[in-house]
Amino acid sequence: MEKKVFLLDAFALVFRAYYALIRSPRITSKGKNTNAQFGFTNAIVELINKQKPSHMAVCFDTSATTERHTDFADYKANRQETPEDISAAVPDIKKIIEGLNIPIIFKDGYEADDVIGTLAKQAEKAGYEVYMVTPDKDYGQLVSEKIKIYKPAYQGGDVEIMGPEEVCAKWGIKDVSQVIDMLGMMGDAVDNIPGIKGVGEKTAAKFLAEYGSLENTLANADKIKGAMGKKVQEGKEMAILSKKLATIILDVPVEFHEEDFKLSEWNKEALSEIFAELEFKTLGKRLLGDSFTIATPSKSVIEKEIPQGIQTDLFGNIVEQPEEKKESYKEVVIDDQLTDFVSVDKNINNTPHNYTSVEGEAAIKKLVAELNKHDEICFDTETTGIDANEAELVGLSFSVKPSEAWYVPCPEDQKKTKEILSHFESLFADKKKTWIGQNTKYDLLILKWYGIEVAGELFDTMLAHYVIEPDGKRSMDELSQKFLGYEPVSIEELIGKKGKSQGTMRDVEVEKVKEYAGEDADITLQLKKYFCSAFKEERCRKSI
Amino acid sequence: MEYEGIKVDVDFLNDYSKELEKDAKTAEESVYKQAGVRFNLASPKQLGEVLFDKLKLDEAAKKTKTGQYKTGEDVLLKMAAKGHQIVDDILAFRELTKLKSTYVDALPQLINSKTGRVHTSYAQAVAVTGRLSSNNPNLQNIPVRTERGREIRKAFVPRDSKHILLSADYSQIELRIVAAISGDKNMCQAFLDGTDIHTVTASRVYNVEAKDVTKEMRYKAKSVNFGIIYGQGAFGLADNLGISRTEAKEIIENYKKEFAGIQKYMDDTINFARENGYVETLMGRKRWLRDINSANFTVRGFAERNAINSPIQGTAADMIKLAMQKVQAAMKKVKMQSKMILQVHDELVFDTLISEAKELKPLIIENMQAAMNLPHKVPIIAECGEGKNWLEAH
Repeated sequence: MEKKVFLLDAFALVFRAYYALIRSPRITSKGKNTNAQFGFTNAIVELINKQKPSHMAVCFDTSATTERHTDFADYKANRQETPEDISAAVPDIKKIIEGLNIPIIFKDGYEADDVIGTLAKQAEKAGYEVYMVTPDKDYGQLVSEKIKIYKPAYQGGDVEIMGPEEVCAKWGIKDVSQVIDMLGMMGDAVDNIPGIKGVGEKTAAKFLAEYGSLENTLANADKIKGAMGKKVQEGKEMAILSKKLATIILDVPVEFHEEDFKLSEWNKEALSEIFAELEFKTLGKRLLGDSFTIATPSKSVIEKEIPQGIQTDLFGNIVEQPEEKKESYKEVVIDDQLTDFVSVDKNINNTPHNYTSVEGEAAIKKLVAELNKHDEICFDTETTGIDANEAELVGLSFSVKPSEAWYVPCPEDQKKTKEILSHFESLFADKKKTWIGQNTKYDLLILKWYGIEVAGELFDTMLAHYVIEPDGKRSMDELSQKFLGYEPVSIEELIGKKGKSQGTMRDVEVEKVKEYAGEDADITLQLKKYFCSAFKEERCRKSI
Repeated sequence: MEYEGIKVDVDFLNDYSKELEKDAKTAEESVYKQAGVRFNLASPKQLGEVLFDKLKLDEAAKKTKTGQYKTGEDVLLKMAAKGHQIVDDILAFRELTKLKSTYVDALPQLINSKTGRVHTSYAQAVAVTGRLSSNNPNLQNIPVRTERGREIRKAFVPRDSKHILLSADYSQIELRIVAAISGDKNMCQAFLDGTDIHTVTASRVYNVEAKDVTKEMRYKAKSVNFGIIYGQGAFGLADNLGISRTEAKEIIENYKKEFAGIQKYMDDTINFARENGYVETLMGRKRWLRDINSANFTVRGFAERNAINSPIQGTAADMIKLAMQKVQAAMKKVKMQSKMILQVHDELVFDTLISEAKELKPLIIENMQAAMNLPHKVPIIAECGEGKNWLEAH
């Protein structure tokens, strides 16, 4: 087996991961930002899969003071505080690395680049091909025929692998040992290393071309003409200090153990636990297989009397109800105090439910009569496509009580579909009804094409969530998992994956659509009940 | 509105497509002639090599991480400002081809087979500030800054010869909201007096009489006014206006002195967000800002800009939604057949029966202006135009 070791600079990668997603952060249902954990996990797994290293280790900085800080009080003094989300992510990231069975290496008093440098040189001697995974340019000084920098892809760019040739070309130098001479002269703003005042990259490269090293440049400072000569004379002391600061220490008391660094089986149990906590659903399934499920909070449900929830008008805007219209009714309230973390995942296969298909005039009339008894009805349409102006109705589902729903299939023959709908006309025209739905605008538009206008009030769970939390995603599946701990049937199970070969609901057998559509109405009803309590608790509205 | 859709003039688009193609070709040939070589103008790699290796237009040209020269719009605009004709031609080529492919050729593809009209789809719960966003086609990013771009609006037409389009929009709505929320005396007064806000701003920032405000002063003042809404600092302003950072800083300092209430609003909003973890619109719609107390200033700065901007843009979004309800209800009440068909940020478009236009115009304006009352009695002004296409009406 090829001996190939990857040494990762943890913090450099964690920061990149965090900032890469800063504009569309990943937030868990508990409000934790998981950008860093997510980006890091993706990066390290991709590395393992694509580069196929035989050995690996992840190196961390520690918070202890290093010799560099003692030498130069301002070393890295310009650094901003670490974003809180990153500090909070480190324990999780360590758990993930442990779960991947990769050793974590750090040493108080040394930085990650010292640790990596020391290990890299040891591994090289042991006959390994070494890759230092980092975006940090300082590592150029360590590069050799066997030791290379592996610079991960960033923002759509490509992975860059830098050996001696690339490093020399980048800096305009002859030998990689001159990287520290460069940094000594030009300084490094990132680490607050001063260098010689007034000397930049081009000047430093010119000096090195002529004198070979920083020390030799300083020794020949009197030969450098004009203002620049003076600058070099005055900057001698800082230059020598700067070079020392930029020099990676290669005798850190750490050892490269072949056996420890060898990649082995993942600890799936540990990974499963941390991924569940971070709500890495897709990533978890991809890495651990389809059996991976997310632990969801178990909610204690108690019944309380609370006022009726918000109403929305045709535009989906929330409208204030006249005071006298408000009424009390039984409401399910989720008590967050009693929420704790247990591994239950509810879905259609393990949750009792009763979804009934309603066909034939007599049965439909009976359903309409039943629905007529209720003030609040949750409904959903199944159609042939996402463009409501082009799609045809495949069926309607209704729910008035959690775990129960009716499904009314509508045939391809549009005349017959209109006949079925005609039975519901008076129901939809009833101004006293409140219709609950997820993205109701779509369903209303579908019905409008069949000549049906919904007259009553509306409650839209998608818009309710938007008002509670305008950031983030809010498809019904996502809301259901987040708030109800229930994973709905994926539409792809019925009509196939997105793309040209995807079918439509029309091609799916009624029995399956019934379960899917019934579930939609049921879940949306449950979400409505959840959001009503959230509105009350968070007092999101003042006057809307 | 999604049900109604809007009619597009396919013949116009087909003609315009040919015109754009011809002009793009002319610009392209002109580029090759000046470069002295034919290459693939659509390839940034080849373009960079021609501009910087062959013609050496900029010795200090920057490269991307992958080693290609940067030839983005910002880079080219800076070069064009230095008077390189070839760069002007490249920019023209890019604009023309983009207009053609993204709009002119794409719009007819979106026509609904049942209605023969284009039905945009509005997302109600995507934009964090509360605005609607529109898709298929996205009507909110039809270019308005160039004449070629504006021309696209000509393709949107009334349903038949008995109809015209009305377009009503709010005037300076976001700045009015800034004035109202901040209660800044000078800015509120400017709106109460009905004066041009950018001229007033310029006259105060430059300490000259309103009549002595030059076009350039007004333009710079306008930039500051809008920069404030988006939390832009001296750096952004300088970049935007192509002026030195010192000058930008001076303008901003003067601005803050003259409009002290606005500075206070910004500080107060940020403090409010720090304490409460959210900011809200005048209607009470919240936006949570979890990073507002971060010790890291990049992260915090991002949240602070959102703290300042969200109440302003969000209130404007709330206002036009309320206006839409009011207008719709009022139209229904008098049984009008005209239809509200588009919303683009602060603008509403109506497919209007000619016989109803006279009655509809004041109805729209009144209801838009009455949608919401702003604090400090800052007036809300809506204006309404008409025409036989969207460009004319706007």
